[in-house]
Amino acid sequence: MLSLIIIVIFFLLDGILTNFLGYLPGDLTYFTPLLTLTSLIVIYPLYRKKEKQYFITCFILGLLYDLFYTNLLFFNALLFLLCGLLIKFIYKYIDYSFIKIILITILVISFYEIVTAVIILIFNLVPITISRLFYKISHSLILNVLLSSITYLIIKALPKKYKKININ
Amino acid sequence: MYKKRKVNKKIFIVVTIVVIIILLSFSLVLNRKYSKVESFFKDIAITTEKIIMYPFTYIKETKEVNQNESYLIQKNVNSSLEKEIAELKKVLDLNRTLTEYSPINATILSRNKSYWFNTITLDKGKKDGIKENMAVITKDGLLGKISKVSNNSSELKLITSDDINFKVSVAVKTNDKDNYAILNGYDKKKGLIRLESLDKEVEVKVGDTVLTSGLGELFPAGIYIGTVEEITTDKYNLSKILYVKTTQDFNNIHYVTILKEKK
Repeated sequence: MLSLIIIVIFFLLDGILTNFLGYLPGDLTYFTPLLTLTSLIVIYPLYRKKEKQYFITCFILGLLYDLFYTNLLFFNALLFLLCGLLIKFIYKYIDYSFIKIILITILVISFYEIVTAVIILIFNLVPITISRLFYKISHSLILNVLLSSITYLIIKALPKKYKKININ
Repeated sequence: MYKKRKVNKKIFIVVTIVVIIILLSFSLVLNRKYSKVESFFKDIAITTEKIIMYPFTYIKETKEVNQNESYLIQKNVNSSLEKEIAELKKVLDLNRTLTEYSPINATILSRNKSYWFNTITLDKGKKDGIKENMAVITKDGLLGKISKVSNNSSELKLITSDDINFKVSVAVKTNDKDNYAILNGYDKKKGLIRLESLDKEVEVKVGDTVLTSGLGELFPAGIYIGTVEEITTDKYNLSKILYVKTTQDFNNIHYVTILKEKK
């Protein structure tokens, strides 16, 4: 239930914030939201022994993200699934702590942006340069890291009955 | 048994990769039309989004002023050019000028999050008579074209897009005549629109006006784009490259006008 609340809030906030912040190339703010993806990072520990369910969540969330925000059906569904696999892999080796949630967020967002750029490059849709990719990554980190760490603190402060964290 | 499992695993990996490639190919065809199923789900998503965004976009007074203002001001800008357009129509055999279009006002529902593609979702769709490739303007001039349409919404591709399939034929108005060039994306560093393929012999100066030419069969002629801000040549010194300053604030658009061709 807690994971669902986080997903819904982050998903809606993602769309709302996008409409109020600069989004043109060159005009991006340092607070560019990628909150739907961030929600996948913070909810992973709440899926105790339910990894299959977690991956289904990743796929469906990606599909909704495409439908609501990008019009690129299946693109983010596949990418979120891939990010889900990466998140699982990272959590295998890293424990659940404040500093580490920041590191994971940075890693996953960078991974998402790089894979997106590589796919667009392969399909030759838009000219992409390293500097533009770096620009996009650097402008996507602050807000998402901030929100993932705040959510981590909120989850940690909640009574145990609301969370079932199983890392380490 | 072990061998069979290994073969099955390999088959699974190959099938997965093939499925991923097929899905991505489907997804990334930028000019594909919505299927009926996709359109249905898109409409549900748009209706939900409208409800969610309603408190954030509800400024009725501004809305009424802006919606009327958008087309009227655009019409005023072009009224002084009507004679010239009429002449051009004769000379160039143009059949796509602003007089043959009726305006449909639309509200911007959301900015799409696909950063690389520069698209925006509008609240008007098929049921309002919107079709792909219709021109979209604001009071400050050309904004882009409709790239996808569902029943209740449509996707606007901005002229700042780097999409290699999206070019606009434009006319640079110098003292004596119109000179044709191609609008080709947006320079992020300069914050200016980039025009290419202009003959290097053409005398262009800073401040010259740039309008749509109507030659590309996509946009009507005479829609204002901006004024020339910077002039350079390409790396082979064969043609001129112009950087155009537009008065359009792409980060702050709420209402637009879609130009629908009169039957």
